[in-house]
Amino acid sequence: MRTVQETVEIAVPVRTAYNQWTQFTVFPRFTRTVRHVDQVTPALTSWTVALGPLRTEFQAEIAEQEPDAYLVWRSLGASPAHRGRVTFEPTADGGTAVTVRMDLAPAGRAGLLAAVPALPGRVVRGELLRFKRYIEGLGAESGAWRGTIRGGRPKRPEPERHESGVPHWPVG
Amino acid sequence: MKKAPGEEPHDELAVTPPRTWAAGVPAVAHALEYSLEETSARRTGTTLLTMNQVGGIDCPGCAWADPAPGHRHRNEYCENGAKHINDEATTRRVTADFFRTHPVSELARRSDAWLNQQGRLTEPVVKRPGSDFYEPISWNDALALMAGELAGLDTPDEAVFYTSGRAGNEAAFVLQLFARALGTNNLPDCSNMCHESSGFALHETLGTGKGTVSLHDLHHADLIFLVGQNPGSNHPRQLSALEEAKRNGARIIAVNPLPEAGLLRFKNPQKPSGVIGRGTQIADRFLHIRNGGDLALFQGINRLLLEAEDARPGEVLDHDFIREDTAGFEDFAAHVRGVDWSRILTATGLSRQEIEQVRDDVLRSRRVVVCWAMGITQHKHAVPTIREFVNFLLLRGNIGRAGTGACPVRGHSNVQGDRTVGIWEQMPDSFLDALREEFGFDPPRAHGLDSVRTIEAMRAGRVRFFLGLAGNFVRAAPDSAVTEEAVRSCRTTAHISTKLNRSHTVCGETALILPTLGRTERDVQASGEQFVTVENSMSEVHTSQGRLRPASPLLLSEIAILCRLARRALGGKPDIPWERFEADYGVIRDHISRIVKGLHDYNQRVTRPGGIQLTNPVNEGVYSNGVGRALFTRNTGEAPHVPEGHLLLQTLRSHDQWNTVPYTSDDRYRGIHGSRRVVLVNPDDVAELGLADGRGVDLVGVWTDGVERRAEDFRVVPYPTARGCAAAYYPETNVLVPLGSVADESNQPTSKSIVVRLEARADSPPDSRGT
Repeated sequence: MRTVQETVEIAVPVRTAYNQWTQFTVFPRFTRTVRHVDQVTPALTSWTVALGPLRTEFQAEIAEQEPDAYLVWRSLGASPAHRGRVTFEPTADGGTAVTVRMDLAPAGRAGLLAAVPALPGRVVRGELLRFKRYIEGLGAESGAWRGTIRGGRPKRPEPERHESGVPHWPVG
Repeated sequence: MKKAPGEEPHDELAVTPPRTWAAGVPAVAHALEYSLEETSARRTGTTLLTMNQVGGIDCPGCAWADPAPGHRHRNEYCENGAKHINDEATTRRVTADFFRTHPVSELARRSDAWLNQQGRLTEPVVKRPGSDFYEPISWNDALALMAGELAGLDTPDEAVFYTSGRAGNEAAFVLQLFARALGTNNLPDCSNMCHESSGFALHETLGTGKGTVSLHDLHHADLIFLVGQNPGSNHPRQLSALEEAKRNGARIIAVNPLPEAGLLRFKNPQKPSGVIGRGTQIADRFLHIRNGGDLALFQGINRLLLEAEDARPGEVLDHDFIREDTAGFEDFAAHVRGVDWSRILTATGLSRQEIEQVRDDVLRSRRVVVCWAMGITQHKHAVPTIREFVNFLLLRGNIGRAGTGACPVRGHSNVQGDRTVGIWEQMPDSFLDALREEFGFDPPRAHGLDSVRTIEAMRAGRVRFFLGLAGNFVRAAPDSAVTEEAVRSCRTTAHISTKLNRSHTVCGETALILPTLGRTERDVQASGEQFVTVENSMSEVHTSQGRLRPASPLLLSEIAILCRLARRALGGKPDIPWERFEADYGVIRDHISRIVKGLHDYNQRVTRPGGIQLTNPVNEGVYSNGVGRALFTRNTGEAPHVPEGHLLLQTLRSHDQWNTVPYTSDDRYRGIHGSRRVVLVNPDDVAELGLADGRGVDLVGVWTDGVERRAEDFRVVPYPTARGCAAAYYPETNVLVPLGSVADESNQPTSKSIVVRLEARADSPPDSRGT
């Protein structure tokens, strides 16, 4: 595993930065590498990413998530290619320090990325800076998912925790 | 126009060894062969290349989910889907001349295949009381006749409105609205006979009526159970998902009384390895279980898991999940620990070692999915069996996480959607309240009739009017002789259909055939070209739009027929905009969007590529079962006692068959050719019963009511089905399924566990197949 870690300070409160981060489907708006995201469930996402001529698709599971604090993911597949953690910490001036720590396996397409010295760090840092420009420019989040995830199992936030939201009568 | 077969095909049985792999090049060849027999190369191209594509036709063949937009093959269909779609796109036509030369009494003697092969219905026809012929009738007169019959009922509950899963959401919504505005909840559907048990078990334990998995979950599972299902013939596109799962390292355990080809190996015709290579092995482990032994099997597995936890405390069960998200664990555990091993082994026909090997597979797996179909749902103890699957999943937290979950594999393409929009005889008050708010009338609250109770009510003279929205109720229903007598006792029967079937020939005193557009055809209404919407097994709601010129200019869409009938029958009360519904299906969807949770902004969202994904609340930790937690349950039940000299029969469909419609008399995966009147029996049972390969027998049902139910003139085929079990095709053997033999709670006919004896026929030589 190759590990990269990057931190960027963002001039919005933790809640705003965190909320925006949960809106995975709009990542293609501000990133260079993410082309498409499907949110299958709160804990399961499908990503299409491209870096130069390399294009790949993977599904990721969010294993742990705590509002305004952190999110832990791992890619799914025969040999998981990467896993990581994003943390959101308040800064002294009311902003947010967003840290991405990412472990890349030396195999598959993520392995190609990992094989080039300094490239993974540069890519992660670049994307973090784009996130910073995006949310600072918006000034407010475009949406939020405030639930929690423990052991890969999502729980909705309390006010809507017990509401189905879809038909739940028996289907024959 | 292609010519329909004039005579029944000659019945000549040939048997070859069962196949050990499914699909491959032969699947493509057979699909094309059948398609080109039915229709032209141009129409075949049009249907197949738009099938299951964004903006194209949703294949009516099954409810399996499509890959996400951008990930679909150019040819995103299976052999059976191709056959099905071109069976509808056929250029053969049934005209008024046909009915002039074929009396109803003659048609009632014809086979299902022959009736289907006559082609598409082209104009409305009526059989008047006392007449033996259908004759043309204008739409206006047909609808007036039906409205008059409805007006003449003593109560709206003397009318029944049956839905088959071919109907799209809009037609289904309109039908239930009409029935409820008329004043009845008599809305049986084909779901009553296929996955009703799944709905009841899942709703009670998890608070959802639907499966909890997506294709991604299957792709990333470590271990997949395929229990009581035959994907090779009934859901072939599931094999692609299983292939992907295998590529990602999954193990698969198949549990079935028959070692079906699709459970063993898949040759994907879209890949070089499937064309010239060996394909993909599907099942890593095959459990040759007895019919109905699945509850015992999963109780055995669950007991072993509890004992593994005893040996390694804290390492086997997901204690956090059990503590925080479930209820009933202690009671369940105490019960399962007490289940006797000798009963488990007898019920399953498996060895303890085989079940312990499954336990070891489970212990090595973090992500487990259980898939099942009608091999599970059509038993008396189906609901407890599925609840036990849920127990199994809950024990190690295999619910609500990526790569885990419950996957009832549905057969009919929109059974799930029809239920979502209100086709159910027991809809909850919340839905009926929403209808009242939206349309300003108070829907009836008393539960209506399901399929079995409809037949009982017909027999008791309490149903006089039957309308079928698609489907073939007479052949899908159990106890054929009883059902046919019941249907014939109705004053009026009417069917909205694309092709001829036995429900048109076994009919009421007055009978109407109302020909309708198929999925493949253009549907043009006053506001322009329309599409309909459907929901697949994985809760994705999307559009379906045909491209072909309709089979006849006189065809009306299902929605148009129902809206026109509702206008006439209800006379403007309550005030429902039936004309606007017919002119623009978007208006129907607007109303649905205000009534059905999760379908908000229906029109806007459903036209996006991929459509609407209805979330499953279980995947967000929400259990709407009244307890607020997933429920462990204590389950009992077993297959019927089989006296010595008897077998436990399951009915099943052949590879060349779609629901009640056989396309040919072949079933090539099982090595059966030229005849459907076969009974598959374990070779040891054949010997023990004193029979021989090819011996002619009658299948005689044994049931508590003492009535002799007999399916005549079948040939014995020695086959590797589980000991003590037998299998034969439906609908030919539906005659053996007693109307009163139903699953506990769900009231679903028990078509997979019928006690029969095989009576050798005097006209068949005792020791050879050669006749």
